[in-house]
Amino acid sequence: MNVLLVEDDQSVAKFICSELERVGHRSVHCTEGDLAYDTARDQAFDVWIVDRMLPGRDGLQLIQDLREIGNETPALVLSALGEVDDRVKGLRSGADDYLVKPFAMDELLARLQALSRRGVNNQDGTTRLQVQDLVMDLLKQNVSRRGLAVLLQPREYKLLEYLMRHAGQVVTRTMLLEHVWGYNFDPQTNVIDVHVSRLRQKIDKDFDTSLLLTVRGAGYRLGPEAQ
Amino acid sequence: MQKVIGSLTFRYIAKYLLVLSATVFLVVVGLYAFFSYNYFRDFSQSIIEEQETLQIVYEGQSLVGVRRYLQDQRDTQILDRFHYLVSDRAGDKMAGDLPESTGYREFDDGWVGFELALLEWGESIEVDFIAREVTLGDEYSVIVARSYEQAVHQARLVFATLARTMIITILLGLIGGYFAAARSLRRVEMLGREMSRIIRGDPSQRLDASAERGQVGELAIILNHLLDQTESLMHGVRSVSDNIAHDLRTPLSRLRNQLSELHHSLPAEKSEDVERLLNDCDSLLASFNAVLRISTMESGNRHAGGGEVDLRQLLSDVVELYEPVAQESEIELNWVTVPNASCQGEADLLFQMFANVLDNAIKYTQQQGSVRVELAHNSSNEDSGYRVVISDTGPGISAEHWEDVFRRFYRVEPSRSSQPGHGLGLSMAQAIAHYHGGTVDLEDNQPGLRVLINLP
Repeated sequence: MNVLLVEDDQSVAKFICSELERVGHRSVHCTEGDLAYDTARDQAFDVWIVDRMLPGRDGLQLIQDLREIGNETPALVLSALGEVDDRVKGLRSGADDYLVKPFAMDELLARLQALSRRGVNNQDGTTRLQVQDLVMDLLKQNVSRRGLAVLLQPREYKLLEYLMRHAGQVVTRTMLLEHVWGYNFDPQTNVIDVHVSRLRQKIDKDFDTSLLLTVRGAGYRLGPEAQ
Repeated sequence: MQKVIGSLTFRYIAKYLLVLSATVFLVVVGLYAFFSYNYFRDFSQSIIEEQETLQIVYEGQSLVGVRRYLQDQRDTQILDRFHYLVSDRAGDKMAGDLPESTGYREFDDGWVGFELALLEWGESIEVDFIAREVTLGDEYSVIVARSYEQAVHQARLVFATLARTMIITILLGLIGGYFAAARSLRRVEMLGREMSRIIRGDPSQRLDASAERGQVGELAIILNHLLDQTESLMHGVRSVSDNIAHDLRTPLSRLRNQLSELHHSLPAEKSEDVERLLNDCDSLLASFNAVLRISTMESGNRHAGGGEVDLRQLLSDVVELYEPVAQESEIELNWVTVPNASCQGEADLLFQMFANVLDNAIKYTQQQGSVRVELAHNSSNEDSGYRVVISDTGPGISAEHWEDVFRRFYRVEPSRSSQPGHGLGLSMAQAIAHYHGGTVDLEDNQPGLRVLINLP
């Protein structure tokens, strides 16, 4: 994956770049807003990571300006914990995801993967999702595994749909809360785990291979790890 | 009524009156003793003098002269005169206007007392007499008696006057005391009420010291100083914990990231310890983030506008999210709502608030218990905001802890570890409610706890 990192804090940037390299991504680093604008305009990236507070051009402004010239590369905004409605402002400016600093690297990697896959898996017009022998028909809104119908509650359906759209990727609990439930909050307890284990009961129980896996310390993954 | 009696003003006036009437009473008793002593001294002296006169008359003119003297006395004195009884050794009456035998009560030195009805006064009530018996020459003895009914009568008059005076004094004292004490005392009471309101509610508020005069004003200034100090101490403690949380987050995340790397590189069977460490890191980070979010909301201004939130949808999402958790613990989760409910606010924050409270409710409810979430209008007026009641049938929280549970890291159980959590859930819920201009209150659900969330 080709990543543009716009971050003025050298130590944070260095850390992120080395982590990205470790898992096999390439990255270009800019420390300044105006320079980042030129770089993003002239080169193609899979995803941008943009810090909010930047010298020169503010991070949100940068994304807005790039969107105005028709550049739709997925963008993830990094921000120190600030005002409560920062997140909303960030997403309104055209960013696709928002992560508060400091963050767990696992969380950042999972979100980058989800963003980079958006363009591929999430395309409009897809009517059918398939992960191995698990099939979801988006038009009829039904799910079957190896030809056997799997009956799901509406929320379980949405949960599975999100997991299938990001099949092979690690999906964190906060990502599930944000995209399946539509709220960004810190659950005090393992409330998501309960939902996931219910879903797992329905899709994995009667089959010898488990599709919905728990990735310790990070989240969940549907199907084998994507290459 | 209870409140009036318990008030400082009332108690002050009651004490003032008690002292006042006790003083008046003591003065009256003293006067009475003084005057009655003098009266009876003069009274007995007059009897002795009369007897001495009789003695002289007897020595000069014997019994005949005495009789004549008595007759003269009877004719000249009309009111409050002496009465006499002259008897011989055998006890037979020789002269005088007293009957021969009366129920005499003997005192010392020949003094006697008796009661006798005096018909000549036109009424037959018995009146008290004081009398003295002395010998008259060798053959006779004489009793000279004088009624002190007059004095008793006068004393009664005096007492009646005094009693009336005292009632008037007390009444006037009451009114005077009320006016003297009421203003300042009521101010003191108001200061007390204001103080407790400030301490419970918004510690940044101050008493209006400029509206007070004299010592009440000084008291208000002193209390304001006290509030200043308390507030700055509170800020100090808070900013220390904020700084700790803030400064530790970055190294902690770095630690977490390195642990995560380690975790990936270790074979599965050896990675369990690292996993536990990762979980601890996450839990610490979550609690630091919660502290900082609470502070951000507490220090920030009240939420201005924001988006329109469908409260009904939001709450039903919360309930739906927790439904499986409740089912796992075999807890009945009830959800009652009104058809339309929308308010201004930050959906993520409101969700967090309800989730925290509902999470607690489910966590502390035992199996087979029930949890109820109810959304209603705050009153019949549909514009007056909403009330969300989340009640459980768990062990509840005793009223003494109701204020404390909103403090950060406060946990009711002494062990702090019998249930997972950081003791931040309710303080965050309150911070979010305040941020939206609402309130969070606790009530006894009998059994269990009711959490009342009011939103404008």
